[in-house]
Amino acid sequence: RAHSNPFSDHQLEYPKSPSDMDWSRLYPYYKDESTGKMTNKVTIADIGCGFGGLLIDLSPKFPQDLILGMEIRVQVTNYVEDRIIALRNNNVTKQGYQNINVLRGNAMKFLPNFFEKGQLNKMFFCFPDPHFKQRKHKARIVTTTLLSEYAYVLKEGEGVVYTITDVEDLHLWMVKHLEAHPLFERLDEEWEKNDECVQIMRNATEEGKKVERKKGAKYIACFRRISNPEIII
Amino acid sequence: MSIIHPFQSSVSTNDGTLVFTVVKNTILAFRCNPGSWNYSLAGSWVDTLDRTNLIKEKVIKEQQRQLAENAAAAATKKSKSTDGEPVVRSVAKVPTPGTGAPPIYSIVRNLLLSRDNKMLFACADSDKSILVLKIDTNNKENCLTLVKRQPYPKRPNAIATTEDNEKVIMVDKFGDAFEMIINEEPKDKINEFEPILGHVSMLTDVMMKKDPESGKQFIITSDRDEHIKVSHYPQCFIIDKWLFGHEEFVSTLCDFLWDPRLLVSAGGDNYIFLWDWISGKSLFKFDYSELIQPYLTDANLAPARFQNETNDIVEYAVSKVVSFANLPYIAFFVEATKALVILKINKDDYSLSLFQIIELPCNLISLFANTTQDELLITLDNRESSEKDFIKFVAFNPEQNKFVINEDKGKSIDKFITDKLKNNENVTISSKDDVYPLYNIANLKKHGEAFS
Repeated sequence: RAHSNPFSDHQLEYPKSPSDMDWSRLYPYYKDESTGKMTNKVTIADIGCGFGGLLIDLSPKFPQDLILGMEIRVQVTNYVEDRIIALRNNNVTKQGYQNINVLRGNAMKFLPNFFEKGQLNKMFFCFPDPHFKQRKHKARIVTTTLLSEYAYVLKEGEGVVYTITDVEDLHLWMVKHLEAHPLFERLDEEWEKNDECVQIMRNATEEGKKVERKKGAKYIACFRRISNPEIII
Repeated sequence: MSIIHPFQSSVSTNDGTLVFTVVKNTILAFRCNPGSWNYSLAGSWVDTLDRTNLIKEKVIKEQQRQLAENAAAAATKKSKSTDGEPVVRSVAKVPTPGTGAPPIYSIVRNLLLSRDNKMLFACADSDKSILVLKIDTNNKENCLTLVKRQPYPKRPNAIATTEDNEKVIMVDKFGDAFEMIINEEPKDKINEFEPILGHVSMLTDVMMKKDPESGKQFIITSDRDEHIKVSHYPQCFIIDKWLFGHEEFVSTLCDFLWDPRLLVSAGGDNYIFLWDWISGKSLFKFDYSELIQPYLTDANLAPARFQNETNDIVEYAVSKVVSFANLPYIAFFVEATKALVILKINKDDYSLSLFQIIELPCNLISLFANTTQDELLITLDNRESSEKDFIKFVAFNPEQNKFVINEDKGKSIDKFITDKLKNNENVTISSKDDVYPLYNIANLKKHGEAFS
């Protein structure tokens, strides 16, 4: 199915807290057998990763980062899992694609169960569900209240939110909300031009390729997670 | 024959002289004359708003709108599938409003007194509003006057007041928290209200706290997805932390006057959590599942559609936890049981241990702690014992070193209530089944998509 209701009580698996998460299950190559601990942390998240195209293209570019795709639809998640297993098997000699994986999850509800404060460097929102109807707007992945949770898991002063969509209305909505949020600041076109993730995001995802075939427009907006302002007492 | 409806909740002023209770859609105020247990009726307020017809109109209007939308879509749009072939567009189904909709209860809930005891706040289910009532003790006719009624787009679930007493913070069923300035005219355009923070889950409780060392203020919110979120206030967009540990929904939060760092939470799992909310540490996790077993009855069985073949799945949840101003104890009850459980907090290591269980004559419905008097007010589902057991008062007795029910005080208020209210149509019902929903907490349990 194409959609999933983010508000329903799915039978999801999620850790009780970030420290309860066993990342070695997803990234066994990065587990230090002598200490039992992970050598690297997840620092890049693709929220609603779909068929995983972005993960696969990001993988060789960021060998030091663990990259996680989160997807709410079961079948799509299973497909991406199989795809990554196949890629890992075909690249055993150079240990390729060990730094990417996917899990089924509802990022709108359980993101803080997975990530600690300031853990992420980058978050991608590629071609999210537009939820056209006015009364469904709360189901959109970018809302003022959810942005506070994304700001929590992003690194202060450094983390970046990447958004891309072919729906202009949704683009304007995301820009409006991100601009209005006190913890985000838009990055300019010059920055976009020089950032390799923007290029990958534009071309890597299956949705992006579909839009390309149809010669549709792609709207991009990137925002930096700025440092917290002084706390008012 | 009519009987008086059980009291859904109650609170009392700091000095204990005024007791406010909710019965059906009525708020009643009783005055307890100091030095005696003579009660008098000090005031009342009835929520007369009936939205049944309004809602019906709205439903029919929405149906018409959807039908028109379908007709318009069928007339104009021709869709193509991804490979360019035209497809026959299926017409969206429009539900027909039935007659079987559940009754709408104009419940008043979440009684909360302002810190100076001059205002009473409540939430009205009828129009999803926050009520502000002024308490005028000089008015001998009726001490309660409604001064403000602010409706919201979604149903308020819990309220709290800010440190400066100027605002009420409300959290709703949809997961948003709003701020309302008390001394301001009600606002319309409720759909344009901007939340101060939100969860993607039903919010169940809210608490305003201050870190005594840094002076920073925080808002703590709990939800149906096990989350307790600590955000800065008024900069609610900066989240400070989450308190992780619950395995089911969180229904109730409680703080302590004698140690502002402490917080207790409970809900649909087997644990009472004691937190240091400033450091984010879980100090103790008390498993109450065994001690509650003897008090569980058929009323705690899971609803039929979630039952197994042997019909023995029980589902219970803590409805309310309260603390005392000066005593290192907490009191709580599990919904639809007769047990009031009191735990002791060991101040040396912050462990919780069972101190006492008081069995009441009927199921508890609500629990309130008067922090100045260190007295508990308990309302009971007294439909079986009719004419008595409306409210019980429980206090610590240092000589016996235990908590005891003040039977005389309870009896005198029961007698007063029966004499005064049995002919009052606002608070009576014709049969025991004609009751407002008294047990709402266990329903918050999630059963996953297998059932949805």
